[in-house]
Amino acid sequence: MRRVVFSLATFIALAVVSFVGVDALPGDGCTALLGRFGTNAKIDACRRENNLNDSVVVRLKDWSGDLVRGDLGYSIKRDEQVSEIIIPRLRNTAVMAAVAALIAFPSAIVVGLLLGRYPRKRISKAVNQFSVIAMTLPEFVIATVLWLVLSIWIPIFPGVSVMPSNASLLQLLPNVWLPALTLAVVIFAHSMRTMRASVTNVQNMPFVESARLRGTNERKMISRHIVPAALPPVVNVVALDGAWLLTGTFVTEAAFNFQGLGRLAIDAISDRDTALILPIILFGLAVYLVSSILADSLVRVFDPRLRSNNR
Amino acid sequence: MITTLTQSQILGFSNVTVRIKNEARDSRPILEAIGLQLERGETLGIVGGSGSGKSTLLRLAAGVLTPGLVLDQGEVTTVGKNLLVATPAERSNIYGSVVALVAQSIGESLTPHLTVLSHFRDTVSGEAVDERVLESLAEVGLGGEKYLHRYPHQLSGGERQRVLLALALVRSPQLLLLDEPTSALDVSIGSEVLTTIDRLQRSRGFALVCVSHDLGVVSQISKRIAVMNQGRIVELGQTSQVLRSPSHEYTKALVSSIPKLDQRIRESSLQSNETVLVCRGLQIVRGQTTRAIDSLDLEIKQGEVVGIIGESGSGKSSLLSAICGLVSVTGGSLHDGDGYDLSTALQMRPREVLSSIQMVFQNPDDSLNPMRTVAQSLSRYTHATNSEISSALLSVGLGEQFLTRRPREMSGGEKQRAAIARALLAEPRLLLLDEVTSALDVTVQAAVMKTLADLQRKLNIAMIIVSHDIALVASFVDRILVLRNGQLVEQGSVDDVIKSPRDSYTQNLINISARRAAI
Amino acid sequence: MKTLLRFNFLKNRALIFSVLGFHAFVALLAPYLRLSSTDSQDSAALLQGPSLNHWLGTDSLGRDVFSRLLHGGRPSLVIAFVATAISCLIGIVIGSLAALAGGWIDEALSRVIDFMLALPTLILLLLISSFFGQDPLILSVALGLMYASPIARVARSATQTLLARDFIRVARLQGGSRISILFGEVLPNVWRVMFTEVAMQFTWILLAFSSLSFLGLGASPPTPEWGLMIAESRSYMTLNPLLVIAPIMMLASLVLAIQALVDHE
Repeated sequence: MRRVVFSLATFIALAVVSFVGVDALPGDGCTALLGRFGTNAKIDACRRENNLNDSVVVRLKDWSGDLVRGDLGYSIKRDEQVSEIIIPRLRNTAVMAAVAALIAFPSAIVVGLLLGRYPRKRISKAVNQFSVIAMTLPEFVIATVLWLVLSIWIPIFPGVSVMPSNASLLQLLPNVWLPALTLAVVIFAHSMRTMRASVTNVQNMPFVESARLRGTNERKMISRHIVPAALPPVVNVVALDGAWLLTGTFVTEAAFNFQGLGRLAIDAISDRDTALILPIILFGLAVYLVSSILADSLVRVFDPRLRSNNR
Repeated sequence: MITTLTQSQILGFSNVTVRIKNEARDSRPILEAIGLQLERGETLGIVGGSGSGKSTLLRLAAGVLTPGLVLDQGEVTTVGKNLLVATPAERSNIYGSVVALVAQSIGESLTPHLTVLSHFRDTVSGEAVDERVLESLAEVGLGGEKYLHRYPHQLSGGERQRVLLALALVRSPQLLLLDEPTSALDVSIGSEVLTTIDRLQRSRGFALVCVSHDLGVVSQISKRIAVMNQGRIVELGQTSQVLRSPSHEYTKALVSSIPKLDQRIRESSLQSNETVLVCRGLQIVRGQTTRAIDSLDLEIKQGEVVGIIGESGSGKSSLLSAICGLVSVTGGSLHDGDGYDLSTALQMRPREVLSSIQMVFQNPDDSLNPMRTVAQSLSRYTHATNSEISSALLSVGLGEQFLTRRPREMSGGEKQRAAIARALLAEPRLLLLDEVTSALDVTVQAAVMKTLADLQRKLNIAMIIVSHDIALVASFVDRILVLRNGQLVEQGSVDDVIKSPRDSYTQNLINISARRAAI
Repeated sequence: MKTLLRFNFLKNRALIFSVLGFHAFVALLAPYLRLSSTDSQDSAALLQGPSLNHWLGTDSLGRDVFSRLLHGGRPSLVIAFVATAISCLIGIVIGSLAALAGGWIDEALSRVIDFMLALPTLILLLLISSFFGQDPLILSVALGLMYASPIARVARSATQTLLARDFIRVARLQGGSRISILFGEVLPNVWRVMFTEVAMQFTWILLAFSSLSFLGLGASPPTPEWGLMIAESRSYMTLNPLLVIAPIMMLASLVLAIQALVDHE
């Protein structure tokens, strides 16, 4: 409970900092709209119309008031309500993230467990090489390679997509696979290696041998002793990478022109559309904070030593 | 070679030799030509120092061979089977029900995320599991439902050891193998655990093999004893016989190295008038609330040797740390012989004060910077010259060749001697020794204590020796202090304290020590 | 194929060092080799395959791919070195001092480190790049500051582990000042742990800048930079696949070689 309150306070503080920070950036919604063609007169008129000449404090008050009521604001440049811009794209990114997570996490945990428990030289080496490569290559390289292989050479999936942002789920699906697969490759290696290292670590602990020498069979060894002890670091990685799947995927979305939150973020930043940038940043912060709390709570389930009664 | 198995033989080693894989033929093996037999219901203790191979031997009895070792020769038969070549399934069947090994439990031997009851559920099933578990726990002295749902971190060291025992015995195995059952426990707790083990063995009648570096532990619960040194069994026979009249050189050295309450290895110092340390009403608080030391009065004179006995939680280490400034004093007064206030933080103390109090720590592996040679480590902060270092090393029994040695090339005893030399180079008036021999083999301990005795006589330094071993302290110091939970429960000359202790806690410690030395 | 799989690329020291050597050679000496200009556009020879004049062909503006390729690592490498140096300096000093000082100084510094770790680095980079121009100096400093905190955190925990060791306690008892302990005992024992972290940070920064360039917010055209080259040539893949594959191979080989070197330690 304390943790939740503390995180909420952090969030509010960071929100204010973000607002002021973004505000301090050169330019505002009006210069974004009018760009090079804006004469001083036009820009002034625009600002007066949109209350941009008020002081920071006043605007902060207005903005937070709106936010609490659920109104995310208005993008001058695009002439649309921010919520209408963000929500469909958020959905797209969420679908892509979910697909990537479903592909990557379960397989990573199982592979990590098997490699840790039964290290067989050749397979281990091959998987190790693959995962090092996957972890080191940048997203855009993996995206391009997958696109090359699965869209150009062996035409299974459509390549760079041309779907609009508010496409229906059915229209969305064919375009989701390549970006999701790219993301899955990026995060698979991290979780798998963490699980494998954790399992290897746990296996060397005295209590594992102690259980084995009592006559515990293999199935019980894995399910009752090894896996619960090995999971905590993996939970942290899953939370971190899960949060990243929702907030950090700009490069992949740009590579496939996938109309998600990441693509939007890049466009908004290139356009200097401050009204749009701010909610996206806040969303990122919120996701990070929530995932931290979830991760901590989940880890407590597996390790009784961390539960509230004990220091 | 197939050993003919008599009906009652439960464990047999015939000419067993174990080596490190791929090592040269002429290097010393881990175990060499081991032969011993154990009948049903018999008890055997195995004693040896570090590197003697005793743990490897015990694990072989359980059919476990550490990766990296190979069985060069010989055969091990446990309950009629060769466990080394058994399939995992066969071994799984035997462990717990026929043979049980309780390994050294330094660190977590119980699964941290499972309750005590869950541990039993691994191998105990069927009806009335809870009752059976309760019975098992009660037998090892843990009565009551409360233990069923406790987690390992909620149990004390002694309680954990008892749980491990109960787990081992719940399916009534015929052979129990124990590896250092009390090393991680306080002396008094360990003694109680040994009593429990002895009682259970007599009532249930299982065969027992107990391995320990501590002769006292082994002699308490085994009728027969095997003494090991450098991979060989050097002596094997009835415990009382071996201890009273050992035949092998090593056994003789082992038996004579053990500190005895009534045997002095150092003459008492003459009384001096100069004080070296004074504390009144000393209070040290650790963390938020724990009173590590509560209202302690102590005075140490020049050249005096004081021994502090205490078990874990007694505050002995906090006291030493506070005296040399590593930990802050929260109440009372602490002054050195010149009246300097020792509650000043370490970084503020002038150099002369710093040098006048030096400390040697318990862990030989941690005392020296692994990247430096002995000469570098000893000279770095004392700015001693090479000749000064050489003579310091000589005085602790280390030759010139150690100047260029690095820690990884030195044994535990050698490292502790170097640490002592380093402390002496600062020319302290007061030397603090925190369990400096506890991590060493008992023969090495005796040698280091003798060196310390010589040094003390030559340099007339005051010393505070902290140990959990009352016999060690009684054989060496002039005055004894007994600490318990931060309180001073006993103080006096060695004779006074040992012959007529005022406190029952002290009496208990003396009794345990006496019992271990007697046979 | 089977032999290819069996050959453990990542463990072969000779291979690692030769790849790294090759990259160093290329990065340092590219401008001094007599290569075709990276900028001159030959409108008569657009998107050509490999030929005698142009060893790897030409891109969509008629520029020589081979020379652009050899120059392509320099921008990111320069930025990565500068930023890594900055982050190391700040990170190691702050981290180890925090652990040495203890008390409230440690608390305060740890909060700062945690806060910086929580910042979304890529978004910040995008913002800085977009709003403050794509100035390599600004980007290097920003990257250096951002990546100082992971290094500080590792330095702090490594130092804390060290401090608990007895030989450090003895050093203090024998009058060693904090600075002399820091440089004499702590840093020499800590650097090996740090080396891995620093190498990883270096690769991260390198890739971050390449990704930025890929998005159009890092190196600006016509600078030859691998990420930028990949982005520019994606649409022309079918005409001259080398346009995309070559930069990928260069970038991948460099990064994997560094990673393999680090894994070896």
